[in-house]
Amino acid sequence: MTVELRAALEARLSSLFGGKVQVERFALLAGGASMEAWAVDAQTPSGPMPLLLRRGAGGRIYRDALSLAQEHRVLEAAWKAGVKVPRPRGYLGELLGREAYVMDRLQGETVGRRLVQRPEFAAARAVLPGQMAQELARIHAIDPAPLEFLPGTGASSPVLRGLEGLTAQLASLEEPHPSLELGLLHLRRHLPSDGPRVVCHGDFRVGNFMVGAEGLSGVLDWEFAHLGDPREDLAWPMVRAWRFRADPLRLGGIAQPQEFIDRYAALTGRSVTLAELRLFELLGNVRWAVGALTQARRHLSGEERSVELAVLGRLAAEIEHEVLFLLEEGGG
Amino acid sequence: MQNRPTAAELAEAVRSFLEEEIGPGLQDARLRFRALVAANALSILGRDLLLGEELLREEVDVLSGLLGVPGDAPSLNEELCRRIRRGDPPAGTLSALRRIAELKLRIASPRYLEGRR
Repeated sequence: MTVELRAALEARLSSLFGGKVQVERFALLAGGASMEAWAVDAQTPSGPMPLLLRRGAGGRIYRDALSLAQEHRVLEAAWKAGVKVPRPRGYLGELLGREAYVMDRLQGETVGRRLVQRPEFAAARAVLPGQMAQELARIHAIDPAPLEFLPGTGASSPVLRGLEGLTAQLASLEEPHPSLELGLLHLRRHLPSDGPRVVCHGDFRVGNFMVGAEGLSGVLDWEFAHLGDPREDLAWPMVRAWRFRADPLRLGGIAQPQEFIDRYAALTGRSVTLAELRLFELLGNVRWAVGALTQARRHLSGEERSVELAVLGRLAAEIEHEVLFLLEEGGG
Repeated sequence: MQNRPTAAELAEAVRSFLEEEIGPGLQDARLRFRALVAANALSILGRDLLLGEELLREEVDVLSGLLGVPGDAPSLNEELCRRIRRGDPPAGTLSALRRIAELKLRIASPRYLEGRR
């Protein structure tokens, strides 16, 4: 299988780069039911090139996640807009029956726990908040016109659309979660329903960044890109689960959020109050709780048998606890 | 009645086997991580076997006190969800739910609960 895939990839890369391409290393980095990632060291007419191949794995992709063809187009738009991303190198169509694309393979660290805890990333942590603001400002300035497939293009407000989606997803679990219902009720009553509509990354947080000694070198994992309220992306990296146990540092376990917010405001002219962010942080926690419970359902339904996914169903109690904590802080 | 080990003792035996004997010998980092996750799943199972019934009774007490009606845990939780969706949560809902969240965490993630106290 790997041999056939490698041969198919060599043929496709050869036409992509306009000359004979030889694949020298070909290793599976991650594989789930819906997606594979392969490290590919390619010898191309213009020299050696470290590439990353993203390929479907046959399983159902998450509702609301982009197809690989769409993800590649978003990556191209981000690259053109000057966002730090792995350079997209080409959509390959179907590779042995499943769609795939290639992009540059960046070097560095992505694992959130290490970035937050290890001393060798102290310098990177110091510059990350400003860099995150810079990249988010660039992402939110991407022209959405050529990305007509992005979810959220309908007429309704992106915030209301998000709440409706979460309500439906929660109902589909067929398990009562009063704490999450209480969170949704609070959000329906207090969330500002109007706001600008921009290209949102959808999963902008520590853990989805490539980080080197100089800090952020690439924003990864674009499959949840959509049109939405910029405050969704601003608050998502503050969700407690993405602080990797460095809880007091509310921005991703690396800093307090003020510098990030101020820098974003200076770059975009959009100032956001911490109170507003708290509401969007609550929204983020409800979203992640529903997401974790949904992941456990992937295991329970047999769609993707995995002890990791199974345990998420129980660990979602941590996020429910956080939702209630934020509600209490916000005066119920 | 079954011979010992009890169900919880069996879960603990498999947990320590995974964590202490299998995990450290695994070369593949992703597999090693999943072995730890599996060991954690068995810890949850062990606590559920020991504490589950007692904590569930406590949850039922909290919920029937809040709603003023008797019932089992699923039906009381459903009823509370209905009230909240109607925009009409009973007074005291937030603190009752916080107490229940702590009960759940005593099984699912006691270390997280300790960190938050």
